[in-house]
Amino acid sequence: MKVTINGKEYEARQGQTVLQAARDNGVYIPSLCYHPKTGPAGKCRVCIVEIEGARGLQTSCTVPVKEGMIINTESENVRKAQRLVVDLLLSSGRHDCLACEQNGACELQDAAYRLGIERPTFTLAPKEQTDNSAEFVFREHAKCIQCGRCIAGCNATVVNEVLDFGFRGHDTKVICDDDVPMGSSTCVQCGECVQLCPTGAIVDKLPRGKARTWQLEKVETVCPYCGVGCRQELHVDRAANRIVRISGVEDSPVNEGMLCVKGRYAFDFVQSPERLTAPLIREDGGTFRKASWDEALTLVASRFGDVVKKHGPDAVAGLASAKVTNEENFLFQKFMRTRIITNNIDHCARL
Amino acid sequence: MTNDIAGIKAADVILVIGSDTTSAHPVIAARIKQAVRSGKTKLIVIDPKEIRLADYATIYARQRCGTDVAVLNGIMHVILKNGWEAKEFVASRCEGFDALKAEVEKYTPEAVEKISGIPAATLTAIADLFSHAGTGGLFYSMGITQHTTGVDNVKSTANLQMICGNMGKTGGGVNPLRGQSNVQGACDMGGLPNVFPAYQKVGDEAVQAKFDKAWGTKCSVKPGITITEMIDGAITGNVKALYIMGENPVISDPDQHHVQKALEACGFLVVQDMFLTETAKYAHVVLPAAAWAEKDGTFTNTERRVQRLNKAVQAPGEAKSDWEIIQGIANAMGAGWQYANSEAIFEEMRTLTPSYAGMTYDRLGSMGLQWPCPTIEHPGTPVLHREKFTRGLGLMTAIPFKEAAELPDAEYPFVLTTGRVLYQFHTGTMTRKTAGINKLAGPMVMLSDPDAAALGVRNGEKVKVSTRRGNIVTYASVTNKIGKGTVYIPFHYAEAPANRLTIAAVDPVAKIPEFKVCAAKIEKA
Amino acid sequence: MVSAPLIEKLKKTAGGYPDQRSALLPALDMVQRENGNHLSKEDIAAVAGLLGVTLGKAYGVASYYTLYNTAKVGRYHIQVDTNIPATLMGGQAILTHCEDMLGIRAGETTPDGLFTLSEVEDLGSCGTCPVIQVNDVYYENMTIEKTDALLESLKKGILPEARNESHFGSECKVLLKNRGDISNRSIVQYRKRGGYAGLEKAKALKPVEILDAVKHAIVRGRGGAGFPAGMKWGFLPQDNAAPVYLICNADEGEPGTFKDRQIMEYDPHLLVEGIAIAARAINAKKAFIYIRGEFRWIAGILEDAIHEARTAGLLDVLDIIVHRGQGSYECGEETALIESLEGKRGCPRLKPPFPALKGLYGCPTIVNNVETLACLPYIMEHGPEAFKKIGVVGNAGPKLFGVSGHVNKPGVFEYPLGTPLKTILQAAGGVKGNLKAVIVGGLSTPILTAAEAETLNMDYDACLKAGTMLGSGGIIVMNDTVAMPPIALRTIKFYAHESCGQCTPCREGSVAVESLIEKLLSGCGETADIDRILHLCDTIIGSTLCPTGDAFAMPIRAMVRKFLAEFETLVTANP
Repeated sequence: MKVTINGKEYEARQGQTVLQAARDNGVYIPSLCYHPKTGPAGKCRVCIVEIEGARGLQTSCTVPVKEGMIINTESENVRKAQRLVVDLLLSSGRHDCLACEQNGACELQDAAYRLGIERPTFTLAPKEQTDNSAEFVFREHAKCIQCGRCIAGCNATVVNEVLDFGFRGHDTKVICDDDVPMGSSTCVQCGECVQLCPTGAIVDKLPRGKARTWQLEKVETVCPYCGVGCRQELHVDRAANRIVRISGVEDSPVNEGMLCVKGRYAFDFVQSPERLTAPLIREDGGTFRKASWDEALTLVASRFGDVVKKHGPDAVAGLASAKVTNEENFLFQKFMRTRIITNNIDHCARL
Repeated sequence: MTNDIAGIKAADVILVIGSDTTSAHPVIAARIKQAVRSGKTKLIVIDPKEIRLADYATIYARQRCGTDVAVLNGIMHVILKNGWEAKEFVASRCEGFDALKAEVEKYTPEAVEKISGIPAATLTAIADLFSHAGTGGLFYSMGITQHTTGVDNVKSTANLQMICGNMGKTGGGVNPLRGQSNVQGACDMGGLPNVFPAYQKVGDEAVQAKFDKAWGTKCSVKPGITITEMIDGAITGNVKALYIMGENPVISDPDQHHVQKALEACGFLVVQDMFLTETAKYAHVVLPAAAWAEKDGTFTNTERRVQRLNKAVQAPGEAKSDWEIIQGIANAMGAGWQYANSEAIFEEMRTLTPSYAGMTYDRLGSMGLQWPCPTIEHPGTPVLHREKFTRGLGLMTAIPFKEAAELPDAEYPFVLTTGRVLYQFHTGTMTRKTAGINKLAGPMVMLSDPDAAALGVRNGEKVKVSTRRGNIVTYASVTNKIGKGTVYIPFHYAEAPANRLTIAAVDPVAKIPEFKVCAAKIEKA
Repeated sequence: MVSAPLIEKLKKTAGGYPDQRSALLPALDMVQRENGNHLSKEDIAAVAGLLGVTLGKAYGVASYYTLYNTAKVGRYHIQVDTNIPATLMGGQAILTHCEDMLGIRAGETTPDGLFTLSEVEDLGSCGTCPVIQVNDVYYENMTIEKTDALLESLKKGILPEARNESHFGSECKVLLKNRGDISNRSIVQYRKRGGYAGLEKAKALKPVEILDAVKHAIVRGRGGAGFPAGMKWGFLPQDNAAPVYLICNADEGEPGTFKDRQIMEYDPHLLVEGIAIAARAINAKKAFIYIRGEFRWIAGILEDAIHEARTAGLLDVLDIIVHRGQGSYECGEETALIESLEGKRGCPRLKPPFPALKGLYGCPTIVNNVETLACLPYIMEHGPEAFKKIGVVGNAGPKLFGVSGHVNKPGVFEYPLGTPLKTILQAAGGVKGNLKAVIVGGLSTPILTAAEAETLNMDYDACLKAGTMLGSGGIIVMNDTVAMPPIALRTIKFYAHESCGQCTPCREGSVAVESLIEKLLSGCGETADIDRILHLCDTIIGSTLCPTGDAFAMPIRAMVRKFLAEFETLVTANP
């Protein structure tokens, strides 16, 4: 169908909201409480637009497109309403971007930038608490805009049912269970809330202060833990050759952005000083010494050769791995079957 | 899984048996919880522990460890007795029904209550709820397989799903949840003693000819030995050299002392890993391997979806991808392999692996493809056995109940069962090297309130757990989530290794060890 | 601690609702009552477990509603209403007096644990201000002397009986026809005076015939919006399999409004009869009366009446549940009310879908005000034409007007729609002193100057034309002793306190306005602050999720615009 946005005609699909149609066509409407996964909430009121024939202003995240709809996203009235909302949010929190983890990836910052808001007009007492009690997630209430995305994610997506809104009015805040610190709550640190937070109110703890969002390159891969195969995005600091954080891939049919505590946070081992960095050969005394690849490979090849020669190929056995790639497993069994000439191959599928 | 993850929301009822899903497969658990909270799906949980998923269940039942065949036969008994089975499906799509019917005849709810401890009325309610739903999905994990009756258990789940006509439907199916990132792929790739890639049988003439031709070598026609036989073989001297890639049997295999003895005895042990693992410490040569983030390749997940890994960071020092190391050894033995990258291996693999034949790196993209995907146009297969079973008719098997290998007695009065916790993974090679994770979950033994009271043990106190194989000292986690007489130990911890205690008895067919049942005693430490 | 007998009681309460989670509010209340008027985290968790509600949801509810005491309170919880009508009628002085006598400030508890003093919002008793609520008991028409006597008695451990009287008048004899005689609470007396004749007639009709009659009578919703009830019913889906629910909105909380109380407290069967008629028309088998939590004794009166009607076989299959709110103005909004009835925080839902299509438990639901439903027996008995003869064209029927503030005989008066404001003020004993301004439809409607009010007729259309709204008919009268800026401050404080916190313009806009008015009153303000207030109000109007943004932006804007000089003086007086 055709819709007109700001005087220009665009293509839109049946079932889309005005916000989705605008986004798909590259028209920016600031929005904060909407996330494709948690759906329209109509709460932040920043995605307000004018629709010809409709009374008053409309939230574009909740109104479905109709054939021939005429939408204005930048009239004076619209801008005034959008600006006020962002201004109020900036006024009611402590949104200082300098040391904020989300700087550069913050939807509130984007909205303020697009609407040209330099600094807040009002001074409203922010909620000062921070919550550093949890192992992997850090919360700062003064950066929370009560959009409810984390709560929707916790309850409807991962269904861990920990987060909710407590109190009311200006005192409204996101609570864990019966308003206990996250670290003492039933939270299992899956980090879905972090993934959904549009600002810096709920952030990953591990990368804090380690890298700016724009310095990180994103690489998609598959989680190394259980067999579900969640698709993850590794945020990599190329210069430091480090994984800084991991997020879930939203459009994966496997995990739809979700990860568990391991998939999201247990990646330190990659950078562990205990990693093996060179082949090791056991000396006669029993201790290991570092060796070159050449030496190690030659030794392995010759010892395997000896055993085959002396005791036959079935005196050699190999364990493939449930944790390495298909290609590697394929090559491993090919090696055993064509170089050793044995079928003594197994792995710990059963364990 | 015969079915796909996305289809979970289409189930009207889900039966989870022998899977602590929120701990071991949290994202699948999330899908199940979503389905339940949507109001569409009812959940039944059968597990010795009242796992977190039980909070979402319409019915939770606690069976005595090792009685799953009796429980499943009992459910089928009730279904058949009341005529609740999917008659049309059974008649047109399956065979072996009469023998199965005759067998389950004996498993009245009352008889099953005596064996399993599940009240007869609960069993009947489960049968009623499960068989009357439009589509029922069945999910299990190692709680079903890690038994001396593992194969029997698995066949019983298939029996139930065929009787209920739940095969070949979105939201239905028999769905084992695979426990490691590429355990499915390792099997698919022929990392097994009796099959080549795609389960092509060793010894089959055509298969042998195909691989001999492709690889230009005469391969052995004699099926190889399994992991437990390799361990035994090292002790008896039949196995002189062992090549272990990315596995840690000292922690993961049953009867740790036995494994350690075997590795010590082995004439030449090569271990290829990221760390100097408990197993690598016994090696003669240790080869440094890259982590998942340091390499390209593919994993195949529990729903048979082949997905690409992309290299994000450089491996430390001289560590290499496992495929490069294998190629290095092969070439040192004169193979002359020239694989430039993992894609080149994949390309060879798919010509020999019919179910992967239609896949290329380009096609896999970011979404992946589910096998079978036999041709380059094939969209992949989310649900198996849609029109007919792979073998034609679905085979129902009459399975009599058998007790576990080692039952509690006066000396070892408790049943010990093992498994995972959410925060750790497998032998801990990765998670235990991650700061923070260890603070969230340390070693423990879960025991029931009444047992703790009888032993005079309080929550958090040290206890000694012993079996006929050995003993460990760990911390008591006292709870009402586990039944009296049963204790549970997660197996991740080298300092308190559950597998020092477990029994090496295995299923006669699948050779899987009975991690879920052995006899133990507990004392204050 | 939740005792075993209480658990049984809670289960029974929960069993009365189609979804047991709906029992969360009453359950928390019952548990609080059993535990010395205190709601501990342990008890919240116990209730959550019992009802299958997550801990976060339960605590979210407990911390949302003001009637839950998550902090301990004294044996006597003294609650003084200081909202606008109360302020005009001396509530503030009573509060200060209580502070002096008890030696504590509002929000504090005496060291002996005997008293907790709280400043509270509108108690639905504006005609009888000042009012003090002690635990569950209202003490109305308070004076300093009466307050002393009350405190003395409480110190002796005696909660005195309340004797509350108020002025009323009934020109139409439809809604307040039985107001004078307390014995009308009984079904025997009610029937003697012709009660339930309307229902009997309705029972002889098909549902669609009742609907037609109500449509024809054009009963505009008496809760405030003025939307015709018959048209609302007409939005219910045809051939629908899901149950239809009827909810009577008795959450009377708009400051200046205390009218529904008159019906429920003195003529409960009139409401029960109205509900039975409406339920029949829309084919509802289950109806709820959502009554504000402070009206606990009135809830009891209604339950008795329902029991009598059921025993007399008048209700057939209809089940009526009286459900008490727990302290939230927002729950007067119909979708917030539905959320609350489902056991949640009182946050309004997005519309569409409207409740008629997707309301309680996602089922078609009609929410009507008490007064609206109380009109139905008359329509059934005398026909829509008779109803339309009362009032003026397009504004049919009788209306209850609550008059509070600076009048000689504050109270509730029943007049036909379209009656001149002057007439109603005369009925209320006339204005005390010189009229300065009047709010005619409850605090959320724009204030009128004396001149604007001079010739006003009290109906929906005339009020709109005059730049205000008839709203709930809560008339708040101010004489020339009143300074407008403090009134504006107290007004916005109320809305900031009651904002559910869901949407930004209301949650943050209300406190922004509050801080600016406070700044002006503190003498630190500048002219730009007045512009900022107006800018906030202008922009907030029409931009919030529910009408609450308008509910404070419109009156504040009117107060500032119409009495601008008073605000400007605050700036110029302090250069």
